[in-house]
Amino acid sequence: MPMVLLECDKDIPERQKHIYLKAPDEDTREYLPIANAATIPGTLSERGCAFCGAKLVIGGVLKDTIQMIHGPLGCAYDTWHTKRYPTDNGHFNMKYVWSTDMKESHIVFGGEKRLEQSMHEAFDQMPDIKRMIVYTTCPTALIGDDIKAVAKKVMKDRPDVDVFTVDCPGFAGVSQSKGHHVLNIGWINEKVETLEKEITSEYTMNFIGDFNIQGDTQLLQTYWDKLGIQVIAHFTGNGTYDDLRCMHQAKLNVVNCARSSGYIANELKKRYDIPRLDIDSWGFSYMEEGIRKICAFFGIEERGEALIAEERAKWKPKLDWYKERLQGKKMAIWTGGPRLWHWTKSVEDDLGIQVVAMSSKFGHEEDFEKVIARGKEGTYYIDDGNELEFFEIIDLVKPDVIFTGPRVGELVKKLHIPYVNGHGYHNGPYMGFEGFVNLARDTYNAVYNPLRHLAGVDIRDKAQATPIIQREAA
Amino acid sequence: MLEDKIDDVFDYVQERCLWQFFSRTWDRQENIDGVLEQATGLLTGKEVARETPMSRLHYADAKIMVGDLQERYPWVKEAGEQEIREVMDGLKLRLIDTAITRSTNRELNHHLY
Repeated sequence: MPMVLLECDKDIPERQKHIYLKAPDEDTREYLPIANAATIPGTLSERGCAFCGAKLVIGGVLKDTIQMIHGPLGCAYDTWHTKRYPTDNGHFNMKYVWSTDMKESHIVFGGEKRLEQSMHEAFDQMPDIKRMIVYTTCPTALIGDDIKAVAKKVMKDRPDVDVFTVDCPGFAGVSQSKGHHVLNIGWINEKVETLEKEITSEYTMNFIGDFNIQGDTQLLQTYWDKLGIQVIAHFTGNGTYDDLRCMHQAKLNVVNCARSSGYIANELKKRYDIPRLDIDSWGFSYMEEGIRKICAFFGIEERGEALIAEERAKWKPKLDWYKERLQGKKMAIWTGGPRLWHWTKSVEDDLGIQVVAMSSKFGHEEDFEKVIARGKEGTYYIDDGNELEFFEIIDLVKPDVIFTGPRVGELVKKLHIPYVNGHGYHNGPYMGFEGFVNLARDTYNAVYNPLRHLAGVDIRDKAQATPIIQREAA
Repeated sequence: MLEDKIDDVFDYVQERCLWQFFSRTWDRQENIDGVLEQATGLLTGKEVARETPMSRLHYADAKIMVGDLQERYPWVKEAGEQEIREVMDGLKLRLIDTAITRSTNRELNHHLY
């Protein structure tokens, strides 16, 4: 029985359709976990909301855009600073947070005036900023505030500003994935092809689905600069609002996170005949493959080989040092969706790590097709996992390290299992060659951290031995 | 024997190639057709088309795939044109069956992205 009913799920047997244990000689098409489906009552889901998917994941990354959140204060605060996506202009997006701070009276009498006032106030306070995204939230959607009409009015009053609206309350969809979709489709419908930028290279591309987590985008940009490729728009790491309006000018769409951003790549292909090339940006083997494919598309293969040789010479010895020490360690990956399939083979091939369990919060069935095709037999594949399931899976697979978010991370630390932040990273960037050495280093530091073993010792009990962990300097 | 070789290339594609798992049925079909046509051309020493953006895209994916197959499986370099065509035809049928026909992905045929 490859679909697994865990002991903790015996009262919610529907969960069996969401948990798969890959077995030898099996046709995985028969056993694709159900995904992107409503959370089953009785399970304590760890999913985010649709508004969060639009704001925290995609829109809030932009470095020159006011993120006006039309709702109660908490919607703004809880989607601010929980991801680390710096920018090269002083981290404007992380310094400030904006909210209309809706209170009971605004809910009763309507919040459009308050939104209009807040938008003017934000532009007045930040005269150098001329771009804004306005998001609706659950209460303002329920009372029917027309944020698009307000945005039009403000743009009429201020001809030098441009405003984009995201009508995606938290209750839309089954997870944050809906917010990704709404923002992608809204942007292509309303903003792409509203501006033209100067073309400086015959090789142009959009880099889609990379959010500059701890500098990923900036690291990869050094590669594109060396290759002579002009990135028209980064969707949306270290990106600007106006660059995203020019996405139609690129010759190629390179997609990393296909889950959050595949939609806009598909639409750009459909509407503008710009091909979509999916790559993996984490891991040496994958990064080399991605660079080779991009260069083959443009016919600049020699430049790609030179870049790969340079990067390998610099970083491969460091990676191998960690590989020697991480060989055979067991990892669990409990993140959003795509990192399951991005990482399972890269940590296996580049670091000798075995991935024993993977859980996705908002992945779709497409993501499970990818990860089951790439992942190992004997590994658990879980959709929308909950805490009790995590405890049970830990007992079954006994991981040495878990890549997950801080909330689940703090939980597993109490079991003396180290975690590495799989969303915002510990000490990134993790993409590219240098980045994967950083990931290896953080994994090594987690696995060989003496404190987690010491924390398991009850110092009142003299009979308990204190474990000694030998840790070397890299 | 032929089946073993199809197994080899199918396992490789499953493990390495994201193009087989694009969002919709028609995207998957377009990629399977395009990449395998280019790969067959490259493996049989033919001049492959690179005039359109899509043909350049499929060429880029096929070039990496062909290089990897030649490195992983010694029989690839020794195979004649007829055998390459048979293997690639078999691979195509299996990919269509796996990624399209029998896929239970409920989003594959949605008319919108």
